[in-house]
Amino acid sequence: MSLRNVPIRRKLMVMLLLTSAVVMLLMRGTFFAYEYVTFRQETARQLATLSEIIAANSTAALAFANEQDAREILSALKANRNVVAAALYDRDGHLFAHYPDALPVSELPQSPRDGGFNASHSKLTKFQNVVQRDLKLGTLYLELDTGTITREWLYGSLGIAGAVMALVIGVAFLLARSLQRQVSLPILALAETAQAISERKDYSVRAVKIGNDEVGRLTEAFNQMLGEIETLNRDLERRVVERTNQLAAANAEVTRGRAVFESIFESLPGSFLVLTPELKIIAASDAYLKATMTTRETLIGRELFDAFPDNPSEVDAMGSSNLRASLERVLKTGAADTMPIQKYDIRRPDGVFEERYWSPVNSPLLGVDRRVEYLIHRVEDVTDFVHQRTPVNGDSTQLRIKMEQMQAEMFHSSQKIQESNQQLRAANEELESFSYSVSHDLRAPLRHIDGFAGLLRKSDGTQLSEKGSGYLGHISNSAKQMGVLIDDLLVFSRMGRSEMKMTPVNLQQLTADTVQSLQRQEAKDRPIVWKIEALPVVLGDHAMLRQVFVNLLSNAVKYTRPKNPAEIEVGCFDEDKEVVIFIRDNGVGFEMQYAQKLFGVFQRLHRSEEFEGTGIGLANVRRIITRHLGRTWAESMPGAGATFYFSLPKSPEQKT
Amino acid sequence: MKTLRRIMLVEDNLNDIDLTLAALEEHHLANEIVVARDGAEALDYLHRRGKFADRGDEVPAVILLDIKMPKVSGLEVLRQMKADSTLRHIPVVMLTSSREEPDLAASYKLGANAYVVKPVDFQQFVDAVKQVGGFWAVINEPPPHNSLK
Repeated sequence: MSLRNVPIRRKLMVMLLLTSAVVMLLMRGTFFAYEYVTFRQETARQLATLSEIIAANSTAALAFANEQDAREILSALKANRNVVAAALYDRDGHLFAHYPDALPVSELPQSPRDGGFNASHSKLTKFQNVVQRDLKLGTLYLELDTGTITREWLYGSLGIAGAVMALVIGVAFLLARSLQRQVSLPILALAETAQAISERKDYSVRAVKIGNDEVGRLTEAFNQMLGEIETLNRDLERRVVERTNQLAAANAEVTRGRAVFESIFESLPGSFLVLTPELKIIAASDAYLKATMTTRETLIGRELFDAFPDNPSEVDAMGSSNLRASLERVLKTGAADTMPIQKYDIRRPDGVFEERYWSPVNSPLLGVDRRVEYLIHRVEDVTDFVHQRTPVNGDSTQLRIKMEQMQAEMFHSSQKIQESNQQLRAANEELESFSYSVSHDLRAPLRHIDGFAGLLRKSDGTQLSEKGSGYLGHISNSAKQMGVLIDDLLVFSRMGRSEMKMTPVNLQQLTADTVQSLQRQEAKDRPIVWKIEALPVVLGDHAMLRQVFVNLLSNAVKYTRPKNPAEIEVGCFDEDKEVVIFIRDNGVGFEMQYAQKLFGVFQRLHRSEEFEGTGIGLANVRRIITRHLGRTWAESMPGAGATFYFSLPKSPEQKT
Repeated sequence: MKTLRRIMLVEDNLNDIDLTLAALEEHHLANEIVVARDGAEALDYLHRRGKFADRGDEVPAVILLDIKMPKVSGLEVLRQMKADSTLRHIPVVMLTSSREEPDLAASYKLGANAYVVKPVDFQQFVDAVKQVGGFWAVINEPPPHNSLK
């Protein structure tokens, strides 16, 4: 059993009692050993005295060999019941008399031995010479039963020891009980206080100090610590309250500010929707709700086209899809997009569609990374103007009529634009299918012409005259040339149709790449001095702008072929709203009167024996630049080189 | 040398057939050519029905497939083949005049193994046919015969 988990009070008791018991036992043990030795010595001395007296008394009986006397003397030993046997031997060592009479002679020593004690397990024997005037008359033998005496002594001694022990332990118990209180009470009081504090978290409680010893000092330190905790706790609580109040105030301020902003936004005179880039509605102005006859609860969180589906009775109503296209344009370009006047069918709460005319503008809300974070869809309701119902404020009838006419015109022209958009789309589709046919069907006969010309040369080439063989060559070449023309035309057509992917394009890098690849091919082994200025980064379709640089730079390389060294310069300058890039060479040039023809399809100013080509490269350049909303032009003098210019509109951040 | 396996040519234009055969002959690839004149005939041949009901069960090493054909177009043949578990293993090379993006995209989407534009230049055409025929009919290891069942 370990003492560790026993209460301190019992621990002290056990300690005190154990100590007293051990001390008592040690003392008693030592004392007992000492008593035992003394007892043994005393017994031996008694035997010696007794044997001396008997020996002295026996001298006469031995001297006169009076056996009767001898037996009487020995029988006096009866008085001492511990003497169990005695014998007298004569001078010659023969047994003379013995005691008690009943004792068989065989149990006595046969002959006397020299004097001295002999102790065995339970008896003590002694031989005593019987001497008179230095004359040995015989020997006395005495046998003492020590077992009985020892046992009696032991019982007596142990009895006393037990009684003393009991008394001592009893007294020690009483003493310990009162003494342990002195030590355990203050500790228990301290422990109780600590427990109470940990249970109630009441740091204002103090432990009672009892005495001035170590426990007293501990109590004092404990109380001091409590005091500090109490102060800290109070300070902390005060600060928590302070912070909570501040937070609540800030929260209230934010909520109030938000509410103010929301109500400002919602009450602005205009119909707005705020959309996420996924076209989810996250806010709407009161005017918008009123105009669309919807409530905020039914709109917020829904997808725009889920909240405002296409008019089911009018499958061809282009409003919604126009809106979608416009929103997608804004998402793509990051610029505001004004839509033509739209006819919307607004579903009233009763489910009936009502015709409204709106003029919508979609504008982006850009984040720090210039990405569209929100879309603001603003609409102006022009239904009344379109229906020409509303009288204009003011009294000028003429003005009113004029305004109404203007509104009507606006609506009609927006309708016209939609119409021509439709036609344009149809034309584009037609062009697409046309170029598909060209690609498949127009190339096939050319392949056949060149194929069979090749087969003819192979089978009958040796029988042809030199002239005939030449003609065959022309057939082949013409077919191939037309193949190249068709391929170029298809590329040209594709440039006009394919969708533009607008990204920032580093023109410096584009020029460097193009020059490098030209240097490896067309311009190989030719002395060309390149002079390339710093060029800007513009917003455009990378693949298309690459085509522009490839066409213009390979032209420059081609038309400087007679020059040594050829000089080609690429540079740029800023205009008001656009940046102009030019490519200047010291090549053969052209006459300015043909400058406009240059950019037309299949327009060439040189014979193909001089400079090969299909006459489609510059047409492609113009088409691409036009699609980028830029301009193309050229300046030259025959023999003095040419400069080709193209411009690109500045992106909003480039404008100064 | 590896044995030459059968090439199937699906082409409606006689001139193209002549030129393709001439090109294959030039490279000694012409001994085992099957020609189908349109998509319907190609499917009949592959399914061994109609006038092809009695033909043996050999499978072409490759099909050279034109796109623009009367009746059933090349893309439709390709679609039906790739949807048929017994035919979808046969390699199909689109051999066509068109370089138009929609054709390219549609062909690969349907699972064409290659797409070759017939060049106008006859020599280039011969080279193209040689490489396509040589690769699919000689170099390429066909799927095991029993996997086509």
